[in-house]
Amino acid sequence: MRKEDTVKLISAEGFEFIIDRKAALVSNTLKNMLTSSGSFTETELGEVRFPEISTPILEKVCQYFYWSLQFASGKETEFHIEPEITLELMMAANYLHT
Amino acid sequence: MSRPKEKIFKIEPFKHKVEMDPRYPERTWKLLEDAIHQIYNHNASNLSFEELYRSAYNMVLHKYGDKLYNGLVNTMTEHLREIGRLIEAAQGGLFLEELNSKWMEHNKALQMIRDILMYMDRTYVANFNKTPVHELGLNLWRDNIVRSLKIRDRLLDTLLDLVHRERTGEVINRGLMRNITKMLMDLGSAVYQEEFERPFLDAAADFYKLESQQFIETSDCADYLKKAERRLNEEIERVSHYLDAKSESKITAVVEKEMIFNHMKLLVEMENSGLVSMLTDDKYNDLARMYTLFRRVSTGLATIRDVMSAHLRETGRQLVMDPERQKDPVEFVQRLLDEKDKYDKIINSSFNNDKTFQNALNSAFEYFINLNVRSPEFISLFVDDKLRKGLKGVSEEDVETVLDKVMMLFRYLQEKDVFEKYYKQHLAKRLLSGRTVSDDAERSLIVKLKTECGYQFTSKLEGMFTDMKTSRDTMQGFNTGGDSNEGPALAVQVLTTGSWPTQSGARCNLPTEILSICDKFKAYYLSTHTGRRLTWQTNMGTADLKATFANGQKHELNVSTYQMCILMLFNQADSLSYKDVEQATDIPSLDLKRSLQSLACVKGKNLLRKEPMSKDISEEDVFTFNDRFASKFYKVKISTVVAQKESEPEKVETRQKVEEDRKPQIEAAIVRILKARRVLDHNNIVSEVTKQLQARFLPNPVVIKKRIESLIEREFLERDKVDRKLYRYLA
Repeated sequence: MRKEDTVKLISAEGFEFIIDRKAALVSNTLKNMLTSSGSFTETELGEVRFPEISTPILEKVCQYFYWSLQFASGKETEFHIEPEITLELMMAANYLHT
Repeated sequence: MSRPKEKIFKIEPFKHKVEMDPRYPERTWKLLEDAIHQIYNHNASNLSFEELYRSAYNMVLHKYGDKLYNGLVNTMTEHLREIGRLIEAAQGGLFLEELNSKWMEHNKALQMIRDILMYMDRTYVANFNKTPVHELGLNLWRDNIVRSLKIRDRLLDTLLDLVHRERTGEVINRGLMRNITKMLMDLGSAVYQEEFERPFLDAAADFYKLESQQFIETSDCADYLKKAERRLNEEIERVSHYLDAKSESKITAVVEKEMIFNHMKLLVEMENSGLVSMLTDDKYNDLARMYTLFRRVSTGLATIRDVMSAHLRETGRQLVMDPERQKDPVEFVQRLLDEKDKYDKIINSSFNNDKTFQNALNSAFEYFINLNVRSPEFISLFVDDKLRKGLKGVSEEDVETVLDKVMMLFRYLQEKDVFEKYYKQHLAKRLLSGRTVSDDAERSLIVKLKTECGYQFTSKLEGMFTDMKTSRDTMQGFNTGGDSNEGPALAVQVLTTGSWPTQSGARCNLPTEILSICDKFKAYYLSTHTGRRLTWQTNMGTADLKATFANGQKHELNVSTYQMCILMLFNQADSLSYKDVEQATDIPSLDLKRSLQSLACVKGKNLLRKEPMSKDISEEDVFTFNDRFASKFYKVKISTVVAQKESEPEKVETRQKVEEDRKPQIEAAIVRILKARRVLDHNNIVSEVTKQLQARFLPNPVVIKKRIESLIEREFLERDKVDRKLYRYLA
């Protein structure tokens, strides 16, 4: 896989998630960051650091991206969310505008 | 505060992060403000989108949206003022370029700012009904740059100046123009209209007003139209290159008004180059140009149409009233047809086959054809000429087109019954002399007349054809039955009285040789058709004579019955005076003179010699047989004066006959109408009768009145006893 097709997301604890670019674009915020016409650091490097999102949440978010792509292409499965991370996940979702 | 007993659930706000660094908003805003400066300075690559987004996110989340928003407005305004100063400072031609490049930068910066403040756009702006960041940026640009005191007028002047320079032939930077107008459109169509379009249209109006004035003074109509067309296309092209598409209709309207509408009359009536001369010179391209240009303005086509119609009427009137033209009916009709062809072609190729133009053409033709009372006669003569000889060697389709064209002229005639009268006469002559070239053509014309005017119109004409056919059969029977070897051969056409334009009382003393065989035929015919009466129409017949001349030369002479009678006299005598001939033959003097004239006065074909020699026959003349007659051909045709246009007394006579024929038709129409209506007043009768008879002729109201009186006398109608204007039908 070419580097331009992937994006590196880094959690508060420093965990790096490398996901498909098109999965990352599910988030409007990420989309803006990665495609903004201005040349921000993120746009140029293809990596985004989230100092306020913890590793488990970011992991769940990444899972959601892929699930969402599947869902959009017609494969309707359930996306399971553990109750204890719900609040944090919602805040992250608001932030990422997904 | 007293409360009801039952416990109310209360959701406490999430207290977790509330106690915050009081300097937090200040600090965060500082960060963002710095970032905005960096963005305007093209230093964004040092910035972390995530950090900025998070900062804005947090500010909005912690209810500092106001501060963020207002800060943005202030910072951006400050920047734009700075930019404005830079643009103002730009010299001359660089002004637009500077404006354009700053606009591009602003757009880009605005995009980035919007991206990092997206969260604010989503929540704060939506909740507090603020202007979204992007629009805010445009509004600020509009207010601080485009509408700033020092830029506003300069911008407009520069733009208008560029357009003007392009109009006068200079090449300008269209891409730059395009960007600037695009900028104005991006700021909203109201801005575009106010800041540019309206003054642009005013300037165009001034420009074209002046230019059209110059053009019209210096160029002729065709050139002017070419210039106008070019200008129009230029403006359309201009719009497509660098203006809003919506401006096209507005700017073309301006050009149309200034260049065309305001000068329309002048152009059309321009001497030596206006519409009239275009029409006469067949300038199809110029005419087409005029049509397409004038069609754009409201009364344009009507103007062309009126002038064309007036011109057509005038030339047509001259054509039909020209006494020179009336000498040759065939030429006369041919000219009419040519004129029609010409205008058909113009309308077809230049005027887009416009229906209203065709109507104008038709009404003009109808107008002037009927100006000349002899038109029906001439048209019939034209047909006669064509069917006699004109169509020889012409293909069937061409025959059809000629006939169709004639029918078209026929349609314009108001006095169709006059045409019928003449047509009948000419057809009779054609049929009896066996001169018709093509039976098919004759019949096809009859069919056309029938579809045009109905069965009644052609029934007699068709009767003539039937008579010809039955006569052929009769003759066959007659010739096979008798011994035809002896004496002269006879060909008889039995004509039904009424169908043919026969003149009764045509008399002449036939030579005895002929009389005997005529009697034989009479007996034969009456034996098969009892109860009929046969009269000889000697004025219509022809005869073939075999003659031997002085040097033994033999010729076969094809002559009319009258001429035959005259020539037969010279078997007994060599010299006869006019009186002798008249007495012996008993031919009416007018016909006699005409026959003698063709026998004695036509050079090269003079079978008789006349004393004294002169062109005309007088009662004292003496005729001798010319035995030195010579001709290259064995068969010699002595032409009588053929169907020519009528002489003045004949014309009056035909006219009277027509009037006479109209009487019963008018009466029949009156009776038909009153039979249906029972009671009707005078004016209505007149209009109804006119309507009914329109297809054949235009009845004169005075004549209608006379007919009504005659009908009252004969007790078909009566006047109402109370209201004298009413007529009542008496069953």
